[in-house]
Amino acid sequence: MSALEAIELGKRYGRRWVLQQVSFSVQPGEVYALAGPNGSGKTTVIRLVTGLAFPSAGEVRLMGQKVHEGGWALRRHLGAVVEAPAAFYPQLSGRENLERLAWMAGLRRAASRIREVLAQLELMAVADQRVATYSLGQRQRLGLAAAILARPDVLVLDEPTSGLDPVGIGKVHQILAEEASRGAAVLISTHHLREVSAYVHKVGILGGGRLVDEVIVAAEKARHRIRVDDPPRATALLRTLPSLQNVRLRGEWVIVEGAVEGAVDALVAGGFKVFEVTRDYFDLYEYYRERVAHG
Amino acid sequence: MARLFLWEIEKLRHLRSVRLGLLAAVVLPLIWSVAPGLKAVYGLQLVSGWQVPALALLAGMEFLYPFLVAMAASEVLGSEVSMGTLKALLLRPMPRTRIVLTKLLAASLIPFLFLGASLGAGIVAGLPHGFGGFFGGTGLGEGGFAGMGYLGAGEALAEIFRAYGLAALTLLPIAVLALLYAVVFLSTTASALATLATVLLMRLLVVFPAITPLLLTRYLDLYLRPEAAGPGLLLLVIYTLGFAVLAVLLFEHKDV
Repeated sequence: MSALEAIELGKRYGRRWVLQQVSFSVQPGEVYALAGPNGSGKTTVIRLVTGLAFPSAGEVRLMGQKVHEGGWALRRHLGAVVEAPAAFYPQLSGRENLERLAWMAGLRRAASRIREVLAQLELMAVADQRVATYSLGQRQRLGLAAAILARPDVLVLDEPTSGLDPVGIGKVHQILAEEASRGAAVLISTHHLREVSAYVHKVGILGGGRLVDEVIVAAEKARHRIRVDDPPRATALLRTLPSLQNVRLRGEWVIVEGAVEGAVDALVAGGFKVFEVTRDYFDLYEYYRERVAHG
Repeated sequence: MARLFLWEIEKLRHLRSVRLGLLAAVVLPLIWSVAPGLKAVYGLQLVSGWQVPALALLAGMEFLYPFLVAMAASEVLGSEVSMGTLKALLLRPMPRTRIVLTKLLAASLIPFLFLGASLGAGIVAGLPHGFGGFFGGTGLGEGGFAGMGYLGAGEALAEIFRAYGLAALTLLPIAVLALLYAVVFLSTTASALATLATVLLMRLLVVFPAITPLLLTRYLDLYLRPEAAGPGLLLLVIYTLGFAVLAVLLFEHKDV
């Protein structure tokens, strides 16, 4: 069963459809990134899947139940930040804000869990200061703390790294990866595809209110690049090997998919000088640019 | 629900409209108690401290209190929208109905809060004039400020309390209407404006005699006509409950 599933989701304002036939699913332990240019419908998707807005077509299932008909109790499974920066009561301290959210979530032993998430997000030093005094980055981190507070099965975050410094960005990505490895299904909307490409499993690319492509990143990672003394000839040679797929030239690199050891053996046997062999991580950003440009 | 309601009360303390409303409600009777032109402009000479809160109520109910109540009740929901905290609330495992009901209850307290503050300030401002029995009227009972002869302190107190109580009750549907509009527009300003426009429009509808008895605004001066309290209050209750039910139903399926 998918932890989160959007089925033929559509949203219309008046006569204008801002989202049409968007379907995707996020499994437990999986990180799904929604990408797309401004106005492509990312935030609308986030609002629909969290139940804040109601779809004009289709449905959303959270842990197998319909979000918009399943009742409020279903939200026990959900942790979400849908605004950047995350919104809190400015007159209360960070800890007091979390205490109220924990009470609303019916969280047991809230005090120790609140300490835990504050420490995890490195907010202990400002925990008892009014949120009004927090920096943008501190508010964003407090937002993530609020989202993971009740150990949700599904985590939904809209631009979770917006306004953060590089250290903060790294921290957020680390926590999201940890949440996924704990078994949570994570859905994020982001513009920062290079940052998330290290741990996302799928990327949905939105354009003009439709899901124009879905990339399974994990499957894309079994790829290597080889630097040799004569790349064009090396490429021609490697294309003859049945154990390799999608052999192509990219600048001075030969990109191969499949058994890289066999490729190196063949190159050495063919008299080529092999200078370097390295994993070729899928460049989400480049793919996204190409997809949006030609989508 | 009780805890959520207490939290709403705590939030009320931080709303700018509530603070401004309280300030205005306190300042109004103080102004009347020291106004040098009272006799010249209105032909009125204060002879008793009881007349000060009465004067404040008469002046405030004309426009100021309905306006302040509409603003503050709109901000009960509007402030959550502008701060972004409404979304955070709705993401928690709690029924939307419970959230909007506690907000309706909090908004319903606002007329009593403002008029209570005004009454308290009026009594303090009336101290220099004394609170004993006097020849004349409070302005809220028979004979207006001229009265019908001697008025005992107990009777005057009862008149004042009855008038303030009735006035607060007549403002109740305005507070709930403001919250209904806040649900519709998700904006403090739009909601307050819509509420005031509705009230002003209703006042103009007296040109249709057939519907006049059913108009909310027909009963905004109920504090001066306690004899009409029976049917008046019944209608105000119907308006209040009607607006509240609409607010709950709309909020249940409102895109946020």
